[in-house]
Amino acid sequence: MSVLSKLANVDSRVFYWILFIALMVPFLSPIGFPITIAENTRELYEGITEDEVNEGDVWIMNFGYGVSAWPECHPSVTVCTKALFREGAKIIFMGPHYDVELTYNKIHDTVREDFANKVYGEDYVFLGYITGGESAIAQLASNIRSVYPTDHFGTPLDQIPMMQGVNTHEDIAGVLSSDTGDYGVHFMTQWQAAYGSKLAEIGIAMNGSTDLPRWQAGNYFGLSIGSRGGAELEILIGELGEATTAMDSISVSHLLLIFAVILGNIGMVVQRRSS
Amino acid sequence: MSQILRREAIYALTGLVTVLMLLEYFFWPTAQPWAETIRTWAIIVFNISLGLGAIRLLMQQSMNVQKRRENWQYSAMLLSLFVVMLLTGFAGYFATGLQTSNGIYNWLFINIYTPLGATLYPITGFYIFSAAYRAFRARNVDAALMLIAGCFVMLKNAPVGEAIWIGFATIGNWFQFTGQIPGMRTFSIVGALGLIAYGFRALMGKERGFYAGGE
Amino acid sequence: MWDVIGLWIGWLLMLMIYSYPLYKENPAFRTAEHMFIGVTLAISIITNFSNVMRMCVTPLMQGNILMIVPLVLGLMIFSMLIPEYQWVSRYPIGLLVGTGFGLGIRGTIKPNLQDAIIDTITAPTSGGAMAWFNFLYVAVGLICSIMYFMLTFEHKGPLQGPTRIGRLFIMVGLGGYFGNTVLFRFTMLTGRAQFFLQVLKLIPM
Repeated sequence: MSVLSKLANVDSRVFYWILFIALMVPFLSPIGFPITIAENTRELYEGITEDEVNEGDVWIMNFGYGVSAWPECHPSVTVCTKALFREGAKIIFMGPHYDVELTYNKIHDTVREDFANKVYGEDYVFLGYITGGESAIAQLASNIRSVYPTDHFGTPLDQIPMMQGVNTHEDIAGVLSSDTGDYGVHFMTQWQAAYGSKLAEIGIAMNGSTDLPRWQAGNYFGLSIGSRGGAELEILIGELGEATTAMDSISVSHLLLIFAVILGNIGMVVQRRSS
Repeated sequence: MSQILRREAIYALTGLVTVLMLLEYFFWPTAQPWAETIRTWAIIVFNISLGLGAIRLLMQQSMNVQKRRENWQYSAMLLSLFVVMLLTGFAGYFATGLQTSNGIYNWLFINIYTPLGATLYPITGFYIFSAAYRAFRARNVDAALMLIAGCFVMLKNAPVGEAIWIGFATIGNWFQFTGQIPGMRTFSIVGALGLIAYGFRALMGKERGFYAGGE
Repeated sequence: MWDVIGLWIGWLLMLMIYSYPLYKENPAFRTAEHMFIGVTLAISIITNFSNVMRMCVTPLMQGNILMIVPLVLGLMIFSMLIPEYQWVSRYPIGLLVGTGFGLGIRGTIKPNLQDAIIDTITAPTSGGAMAWFNFLYVAVGLICSIMYFMLTFEHKGPLQGPTRIGRLFIMVGLGGYFGNTVLFRFTMLTGRAQFFLQVLKLIPM
């Protein structure tokens, strides 16, 4: 039996161990590969900074991801929150995952310095959990109060200074939807397509393939794709964080996978020839 | 009469709601208050319906314990933890309107739910690795094209690709921004056409599979 | 104190879960798996309950009588558990399906059809030969790929060539999708690898 044939029959767990260890090594000894900025990420960043955002504009930040996708989505969300706050925008936080409160607490951790200068109810508000799919997002566009009569903490929206006069899509300057699932698409169909709302997607890398044509067609003014998008945004804002740190680990694991694919294909060719 | 209540009235309700949503958007904006009311109802019904899955699962787990089925101990543990979490959560909710105000609930939420939630889904990372090794092979032209596109996109996504050879990023970018677009856009267009066709078929009563019990 | 204990419990639970792929199915994995289901069930029930209270019951208590309708419709869905009265649950399902179809149809036309087609057929105004090549690649690719999904006609005769080419374009698309999926899966694993080292204080939290 040749070495390649033996390799073809190696127990999968061997690969799993190698992968898990390989993911850890770059954290212990960082490499720091250079990262270039993709056009879709740059357009996202430019769309939430400088002339594109006016002081006092109200933006929606949708946390459409649970704890498992924190490494994918949260770095981008962190940068976007920082950027919007620094432009003087007000932010409505909300999300369709029942662990949305954990994500809201995490954004307080990762954007601590900016939150320190902001006042709850005046500069930002947390509306909490939303469910109901496309119906909920469509209804949010026409009447926010029917979906959220109160904020997450039970305060009626009418008693929140920032929400005075904010009740439909017309009162929202833009939406940033960060998703593992469909909510970005719901915002696209029920907000952007229906009313021309300004919308950007902070998606998981897996959805990057389906999101890119939409960004090219102008449905999203910008797009961040997974942790790589997060790392690019961290470079753009000039504050390196979680995603940039993770990029070395991503590099090593991807190389390992490509090596495995090459090995598998060589094995196939050798086996074909011998048979 | 019962047939009307069991079938026709339901199909009529579905059709009426669909038409209302379309009318409000395309032809009759003044119907917005009605459409808003229906949407609010739909959100609430959706919310309540999520409890159905939970109840079915709990019934199944309770039966496991009751009948001492194999590995019933795990079901017992699931139910115990569920009860603790539920009681503490409701205690917090009824005391302050916020379930996380209960210390025990909050502690379990942060220290049990979070690590487990963050750990379970990434398991697929392991499987994609062995799947790539065993199945991602250039057996024919189709598979070879998929493999080439996949590898270049991977080398583009990982900063190391660019560090090895700048061409990896250039080619990877081409696959990312142009190469994959026809295929991906096709899925959007075909999906949209499928939804419209299916919607109108349902409106005419020709698709009934989604109702409970089929028909 | 409790935070530190919680951190270590989280670390231990992570190992219990990963004992499945890294070793084999075992009681530790099953325990962690069942714990997750139990906790998640309770969280989802409470969260949805509080949301129904906020959106429906509180307004009802405040005099919005109409809110009785979704409440009753919502409860009707539980008739699915009783075979004899299962048909009752079709009413709320009808409402959900009707809303879904209506919103789906009206929402999908512009972004998924109109915008997608306009973007595909808009010729480049700059970028030279490469831009034109890309434009033609996407346009031809899209037409051929859509033809591949025309399943009412057999892919023979004049349709054979375009559908075969369409299949190749789709394969390239799926390859790109796979490449991006790998990034997603590995990033999630990277987060866990980082947590593993952070709890051991080998890297900063």
